[in-house]
Amino acid sequence: MLRVKKWKAVALAGGVAAMAVSAAQAEELRFWTLAFASESATIAFNEMVAAFESSHPGVDIIVETRGVDEHKTALRLAAQAGQGPDIYFSWSGLGQSGEYITAGLSEPMERYYQQFGWYDQYEPAALAFAMHDANGEIHGVPFSMNGEAIYYNKALFEQAGITAEPQTWDELIAANDALVAAGIAPWTFGGSVNWHLMRLMDVIMEHECGAETHDALTSLTANWAEEPCVTASFVELKRWADNYILTPFMGIGQEQSFNLFVAGRAAMMLEGDWLVGQLDQNGVLDAYDVFAFPTDTGRLYGFGQYYYISAYSQNKDLAAEFLDFLNNAENSQKYLGNAGVMSMNRNVTYSYERDLENQWLEIFQSHDEIFMNSDLPLSLAQTNEYFRIHNSVADGSMAPEEAGAAFQSFVDANP
Amino acid sequence: MASQINTPLLRRPGVQAPLLLFPAIAVYAVFAVYPLIDVFVVSFQQWNGIAPERVWVGLDNYSAALFRDPVFHVALRNTAIWTVLSMIFPPLVGLVLALALNQPIFGRGLLRTVFYLPVIIASIGVATIWRWMYDPFFGAVNAVLNGVGVDVGMRDWLGDQDIALYSIFVAYVWQNAGASMVLFLAGLQGVDKSLVEAARIDGARRWNVFRHVTFPALRPVLTIVIVLSIINSLRAFDIVYGMTKGGPAQATQMLALWAFTQSMQIFEFGRGAAISVMLLVITAAIVIPYLTWMRRLEARGGR
Repeated sequence: MLRVKKWKAVALAGGVAAMAVSAAQAEELRFWTLAFASESATIAFNEMVAAFESSHPGVDIIVETRGVDEHKTALRLAAQAGQGPDIYFSWSGLGQSGEYITAGLSEPMERYYQQFGWYDQYEPAALAFAMHDANGEIHGVPFSMNGEAIYYNKALFEQAGITAEPQTWDELIAANDALVAAGIAPWTFGGSVNWHLMRLMDVIMEHECGAETHDALTSLTANWAEEPCVTASFVELKRWADNYILTPFMGIGQEQSFNLFVAGRAAMMLEGDWLVGQLDQNGVLDAYDVFAFPTDTGRLYGFGQYYYISAYSQNKDLAAEFLDFLNNAENSQKYLGNAGVMSMNRNVTYSYERDLENQWLEIFQSHDEIFMNSDLPLSLAQTNEYFRIHNSVADGSMAPEEAGAAFQSFVDANP
Repeated sequence: MASQINTPLLRRPGVQAPLLLFPAIAVYAVFAVYPLIDVFVVSFQQWNGIAPERVWVGLDNYSAALFRDPVFHVALRNTAIWTVLSMIFPPLVGLVLALALNQPIFGRGLLRTVFYLPVIIASIGVATIWRWMYDPFFGAVNAVLNGVGVDVGMRDWLGDQDIALYSIFVAYVWQNAGASMVLFLAGLQGVDKSLVEAARIDGARRWNVFRHVTFPALRPVLTIVIVLSIINSLRAFDIVYGMTKGGPAQATQMLALWAFTQSMQIFEFGRGAAISVMLLVITAAIVIPYLTWMRRLEARGGR
């Protein structure tokens, strides 16, 4: 009899354990994101995951990081199977997270914004990137807001006799010419990664077309074949490629161009606020300063990165709670600077030790408007063709005068 | 238990053969036939990989690739160039290496290993090695050429549209010549030594011995090498992806890579599938007639 009771007890304990395991599995959160930009960002994220798990017994957060292409592919493959992560990373833009929202893969989050008071918690500038669905509901929460500006080698500027940071387009061109005259390559870009040269094209187009027309072009409400500023922009791109960029550049990537920049082979680089950490890792932080690209429109160049809750998630409320935890005031303050200079939480107090981060903070705070990288609003197919065209102009295989019409023709033929 | 299974019915070849073949056929059907059929079906559909429904568009993906895609024709031309070059250079280099390393020279085994080694390196590894060697600023290629007096300056081997494809092809030859070499070496072991001796006794010079004795004996191997070269070249993907990703400005794009790009990077699965089907048709249109011709040639005794 005793033996029977013992077995019953074991069976009961086993059943309870199985239920506990089942409950724990029900509290599993799968988090898919890109590999973090720096070791400190990885450590910060892992610490927050551990802290959330310890404050929520039974919750297991499984973090999977991938490269850019692998991440996009994994999301689609998961979507085909009706599965996938509870939370996923995406850039904010019609051609990026917009696709997932249109396909119904992203959970509308208005109720969470109300529940957690996110409208009051997040930086308005970061929320300005937010995507909305056809019903006007907001999707995703900001993970970072990144600006891209001009890093310059102070010694090379001094060598070329440039005494002040260019504040206008004309002053920037004058600086370019002064550097060339001093035998210094003004810029370095890596042409083999298409998006790097695209940055140059974006800022040139912002200058040549002005804010309104530039936005109309990237949203494809203006005609690329008919706007004169498009041809002017491509002509300018070709001029920069011929005169201002360290050559050869079409066969090298962004990483190699950064190596050349750090080696003092070129004076300027158009990069995001994440470069501060990389310069620090190379021990050359003091050799560089940063200033906003003077497009003369007053807008800062940048983009927003968001976390979205999947429509397939079985734990949406828990996912929202975790996202709130990531960006609450305490964690935002504790891990300030790990996801970009600008915190997504408006209640933090900024205190950076690195001068470049303070310069970035000033840049962010002195700009009210931002224009996005053009690969975000365009579809992937359009982006791919846009890359081909601006690269062709830069390497001389396409006349700048043909470029706008070529892109418009692709857009018209491939709606 | 074994005796229960070993019934007379199971001993009949008509029953036994399908039973034994079933596992292999099942695997082949799931991993080869089904994807092939699915690609064919998807090539008539528009689908971005996340939309709940696939839209039937008939031949639109094919007409889009042929008439509205500025890159498809570049990829087609590059694939044709690559295929022709692949039929010539890796087999030729492989044959020369095999003939040389078939001689009783010192360190023959080691040299065979050295020349075969690139074959076992993953293509992405080969691509990384050569990408660094081609680096215009710090790469070994420019350094060596400039060092030996060939003034190439900072030549952008992978960034110049005129030479990028051929620069990748050099790496491809480096990687693949060893495979051809091994096949030719195997073929050379089958050359009747008595025929070679007889030809020499009859006064044939080295070239004539090769032309009239060795080469005809290598014809079956040559057929295999050429067919493998054609098939490998038509699906050239990894080394191009690793070195240029099809750039600069899509100048090194290939059909197989473009099909992948359309499907897995642009997420136009229908267009990617249509390009894959066209690539399959092109491959079959080249390989099947070639094999038929060679079989007839062999049946006629090589004349």
